[in-house]
Amino acid sequence: MTSDLMLEIQAVTYQWSSTAKGFGPVTASATPGQLIGLIGPNGAGKSTLLKLIAAFWAPESGSIHVKGHDVTAFSAAERARRIAFVPQTLDTQFDLTVHEVVELGRLSQLSWRDRLQFKGTTNPAHLDEILAITGLSPLQHRPYNTLSGGEAKRTLLAAALVQQSPLLLLDEPTAHLDPGHALKFLTLVRHMVDHTQTTVVMAYHDLATVGLFVDTLWVLDQGQLVITGTPEEVLSTPLIRTIYDTDLIQIRHPRTQRPMLLFP
Amino acid sequence: MQRSALNFTGAFLLLTITMVVGVMHGPTRIPLSVVIARLFSPNSSINSVIIWDIRFPAVLAATLVGGGLAVAGAVMQALLKNPLADPYIVGASAGASFGAILAEDLLPSMGFMAPAAFIGGLAAVMVSYLLSRGRGITSMLTLILAGYAVGVILTSVTTFLMLLNRSDLSTIFAWEVGGINGVTWRQVLISFIFIVISVIIIWPFASDMNALLLGEEQAHHLGVAVRRVQLILLVAASLLTAAAVYLSGLIGFVGLVIPHIVRRLNGPNHRQLLPLSFLFGAAFLTLANVVANAVPVIGPIPVGLVTAFLGGPYFLYLLVKQNQRRGGLA
Repeated sequence: MTSDLMLEIQAVTYQWSSTAKGFGPVTASATPGQLIGLIGPNGAGKSTLLKLIAAFWAPESGSIHVKGHDVTAFSAAERARRIAFVPQTLDTQFDLTVHEVVELGRLSQLSWRDRLQFKGTTNPAHLDEILAITGLSPLQHRPYNTLSGGEAKRTLLAAALVQQSPLLLLDEPTAHLDPGHALKFLTLVRHMVDHTQTTVVMAYHDLATVGLFVDTLWVLDQGQLVITGTPEEVLSTPLIRTIYDTDLIQIRHPRTQRPMLLFP
Repeated sequence: MQRSALNFTGAFLLLTITMVVGVMHGPTRIPLSVVIARLFSPNSSINSVIIWDIRFPAVLAATLVGGGLAVAGAVMQALLKNPLADPYIVGASAGASFGAILAEDLLPSMGFMAPAAFIGGLAAVMVSYLLSRGRGITSMLTLILAGYAVGVILTSVTTFLMLLNRSDLSTIFAWEVGGINGVTWRQVLISFIFIVISVIIIWPFASDMNALLLGEEQAHHLGVAVRRVQLILLVAASLLTAAAVYLSGLIGFVGLVIPHIVRRLNGPNHRQLLPLSFLFGAAFLTLANVVANAVPVIGPIPVGLVTAFLGGPYFLYLLVKQNQRRGGLA
């Protein structure tokens, strides 16, 4: 098994309880510092794949390795130190502050001494730094459940960044975000991938913008990984139009020349 | 940080004052100076005996029960992600009643009622948990429903047993309302040991409980061994509840209302919520016990009535407020 791979997915299958059809088998891999866009129609299995990688669900067969270790064999803390997950939305009935939510990213790094201490954690420098780069410093004492969609999203990203995991999973990170916040969010992710060699797998819906940010696209359709490749390769195949059952128009971004798919 | 330091100071002061007031007040009032003098130098005077053998154990029992129930309530609310959960929600109260009546019927006048209630409460929660356990993560909603079903079944059997043996009715009734009367040092010590054990188990998971407030899936991603932590916390909270029930019977609303008040005062962070809940719960029940013993004309009433009388309206107020925040129908 090659250990220079960050993520290795080998013939993974999963049985959805609601349908007769199953997910997979899916085989794929990712290297450090790779930003992967996971696209496909609704119900194709994007969230399923992310949940399997995060070991929230266990595969029926096949295996998923992160840095050469089987994800289902990790202890909870070991897993969270390697894999962080930013959910699409998250509601809570409790008034945790932004700072308290972000600090939870440290949970997997707590020693027994930290746990027994009254304060629970020391405030590491990187926590303040992450609050600053995600633009949350002025909001840190606000209750999480009073935030706008964009602020809440950044808070969840910040918590994931505090985990300092080499593999970051994002589920529809720009859903419900306006273009300004979406751009800031994606730029932040891109910047992090380039500077920390983090591998990101990002489920994504918008075919117009996905090609502008990612290195690789994985296309899921009906539980199968049908195409992988650079945005250039994937977005120009005719198959993509069949998968989405839409006659999408391909254009190039006027400034970067990257491929974009638009409504017909 | 300053806010919580202030709250802790306030809580400590409040508890100290209520404990002193609790020792001072009773059928005969003992002046403050005598209380302080006899606390530090007990002698054979009647006041000293009242203080050391009657009042002080009762006050300690009230602090243990109040604090224990409040912490158990805070844990259950985090586990069920529901701020309206209480320590009895998954069958503990019904199990404890069942144990109590069984002991009273089968081995009357043996004094097994309290230990049987302890075991009954713990057993009912475990049965609910095992019934709700499914593939993957135990759904906490299923746990509530299983606890409810187990509770209904046990309550019907308990009621049936009560009707069969009507001579016990008043004993059982008084026990179900919940009261702190005639506790001995030995009972206080037993309860204290169980409460300390539970608290030692719960404390290291304070941060995990914060993560659980974000839901089981997010807690998983943050590195909580969700299933294991839920089971540990459920067992510890039940042990805490059982230890409280052992001393006092079923005292309602402390476990529901106190964590709520503390959350509004100091936020939901369990690192502070748990110790503050203990202090405020202890102070609240100690005070409620003083009130219960000082009702004019009627004389002493069970402290559970006082907490219910104060807690019931507050609970309704919370419900209405929560509905308003969600938008409700309006």
